[in-house]
Amino acid sequence: MSALREPTTDGAEREGRRRPGRPGGRSGGGGARRPGGLGAPAGVLAVASAVALAVAALVTAHLLVGRSEVPAREVLRALTGGSGEPAYDLIVLRFRLPRVLVGLGAGALLALSGVLVQSVVRNPLAEPATTGIGAGAALAVVVSLVLVPGHGATYAVALGGALLAGLLLWLLGRRSLAVTGILLGAVLSALTSMVLVVDSQPMGTVLRWLVGSLNARTSGDWAALWPWLLVLPLLGWLLAPVMNVLALGDVATTTLGLRPALARGAVLAVAVAAAAAAIAAAGAVAFVGLVAPHVARLLVGSDHRLLVPVATALGALLLSTSDLLAFAVSLDLPLGGRSVAGVPVGAVTALLGAPLLVRLVRQERR
Amino acid sequence: MITIPKWTDGPVPRTTTARRRPPSRALPRAVALTVALLALVGVAALSLGEPTLGPVRALGALLDAGDPAHVVVADVRLPRALLGAGCGAALAVSGLLLQDSLRNPVAGPELLGVSAGAAVVMTAVVVLGLQVPLALAPYAALLGALVAGAMVLLAIGATRDPEHVLLVGAAVSAAGAGLVVALVGLGTEGDVVLLFRYLLGSLAARGWPHLEAVAPWIGLGLLAAALLRSRVATLALGDEVATGLGVPVVRTRVLALVVAALLAAASAAVCGPVAYVALLAPHVARRLVGTGTRRTFWVAPLVGAALLVAADLVCRLVLYPVEVPVGVATTLVGVPALLLALAGRRGR
Repeated sequence: MSALREPTTDGAEREGRRRPGRPGGRSGGGGARRPGGLGAPAGVLAVASAVALAVAALVTAHLLVGRSEVPAREVLRALTGGSGEPAYDLIVLRFRLPRVLVGLGAGALLALSGVLVQSVVRNPLAEPATTGIGAGAALAVVVSLVLVPGHGATYAVALGGALLAGLLLWLLGRRSLAVTGILLGAVLSALTSMVLVVDSQPMGTVLRWLVGSLNARTSGDWAALWPWLLVLPLLGWLLAPVMNVLALGDVATTTLGLRPALARGAVLAVAVAAAAAAIAAAGAVAFVGLVAPHVARLLVGSDHRLLVPVATALGALLLSTSDLLAFAVSLDLPLGGRSVAGVPVGAVTALLGAPLLVRLVRQERR
Repeated sequence: MITIPKWTDGPVPRTTTARRRPPSRALPRAVALTVALLALVGVAALSLGEPTLGPVRALGALLDAGDPAHVVVADVRLPRALLGAGCGAALAVSGLLLQDSLRNPVAGPELLGVSAGAAVVMTAVVVLGLQVPLALAPYAALLGALVAGAMVLLAIGATRDPEHVLLVGAAVSAAGAGLVVALVGLGTEGDVVLLFRYLLGSLAARGWPHLEAVAPWIGLGLLAAALLRSRVATLALGDEVATGLGVPVVRTRVLALVVAALLAAASAAVCGPVAYVALLAPHVARRLVGTGTRRTFWVAPLVGAALLVAADLVCRLVLYPVEVPVGVATTLVGVPALLLALAGRRGR
């Protein structure tokens, strides 16, 4: 398709376009003049409006679907400042709206973290859920619940654990971040299990961080998440040129006047913060941070200035759609009465994501 | 005038195989060593615990049905130790086949998603209350193992970059673990014992019926692996060489993968996905007797058996009366060892 769009049919150029993000593949994008598959302003506008439309549709669906019947008119009235029915207000504002917002936000942050992690690791198969950050959050929550049973500050503890795991990853991962992350995750999960064997009481609470779930998110979770959404995507986007340079390799980075270690440290710091904020809210949902950047790369090429916003938007849509699916499935589940917990969104992304991953990886190699 | 460069002019490239192969007496010695180790660990597994018996007393109680400790030793500790040994051997051979046929030092059922796939199916069987007899459980586990393994192998394609394999395998394994947690959380309101059996692997409360269910599978798998071992050894030399030697590359690789999945699934069906034994045992065996599937085949299962029985013993005793899932111990030992193996490989 690039041959149609561009007069240059240079083989290496096209080869690089289809193999984004590979070290030594090609420069990380051709700048604003050649932003990959889409023409610049019109394409951006089209993508932005498509995303906005999809978000609106998702929010509407989330607000209308639920265990109790709430008419559309009542939903609208609750949103615009109070209806006559306090029960509707409660359902819409305290449960349904926070759930969809947390889903969108956590998905966006996971995908953002995915792009950044893949840039640092220089491997398009890395993802935040397999870096040990989620395992760190789970371990911190389990330990804190064993020491202080029934405390309410799980978000803060999970965030702290996730950030600590990220720090550990940076300290240990001098040689290979990808392998270190996987092994760190294995060790932290083993320690979590050891604590749970001794005291199984935090089990119910910690399931959320083990698999990733958006069930029973309230406005408190959203309040803890949104400040991150203001800062981190912006930081990620500001780092996009740095990531474009990093994709050229360490030698080129140094030649262009950047210190590779420093640049990579900055990108990793934002990646860890984004993953930690998302995982503390929704648990270590697998595949969102992996699939969203891949789809984004197929859509807009490997220029990080476009890749970061597009992947972030796609991640939000992906997680929230999966959550809607998970919720719809749990409504029809025969287990209904016994287990109100519902299908966790992590199970849905796992089922959808694994075959999608196989397909994407094969497609990119071709 | 054509000048042919003399082969001995430059420094002769010494392959790693040549450098690391010890003299040929190493194989019997290593086999004797590992058998002795396994026997030692086995006797310890029979004697330690509550009640703790002396080794002589334990062996006596095993043979003497009138001894009050007979039940403990013969019906509880012996099947558990045998099961540990059998599963350890099966996992080790599974890892050996995967590593040599894919020529990848980090290939192992736990990192290729094979164990996770088997665990998902077994969890579904238990949690959803499907009526699958114990003897058929390995079939179900094998199905899951093959699906997950095929998925990972499709995704990694022709690449041999260990990092690539690890990342895809980790993603699929994470998905499997997520499904296990979801199933357990949905069906049973957080049954911890169940979760650990299928997430980490555990040998707790296994008896003769479990051993009987899985023994034919492990035996079959080991036999098939024994028949395959010289062909797999040829595969480890490279696809071109193997083709040149008349070995059908693709068919052999697929066969090796199926046998590896069978062994891993058999073990996962009764004791869950015990991690890192399959990865570690072949590396230890190579340290002892050098590379080459023909030689390591005899040592790796013994190493794996001793490893798993020892790990199970530690897990049984360390937090007595609570049992730690054996997967915790193998992970805590296996991860640093794997890091060492990778670092050593990169250093060369």
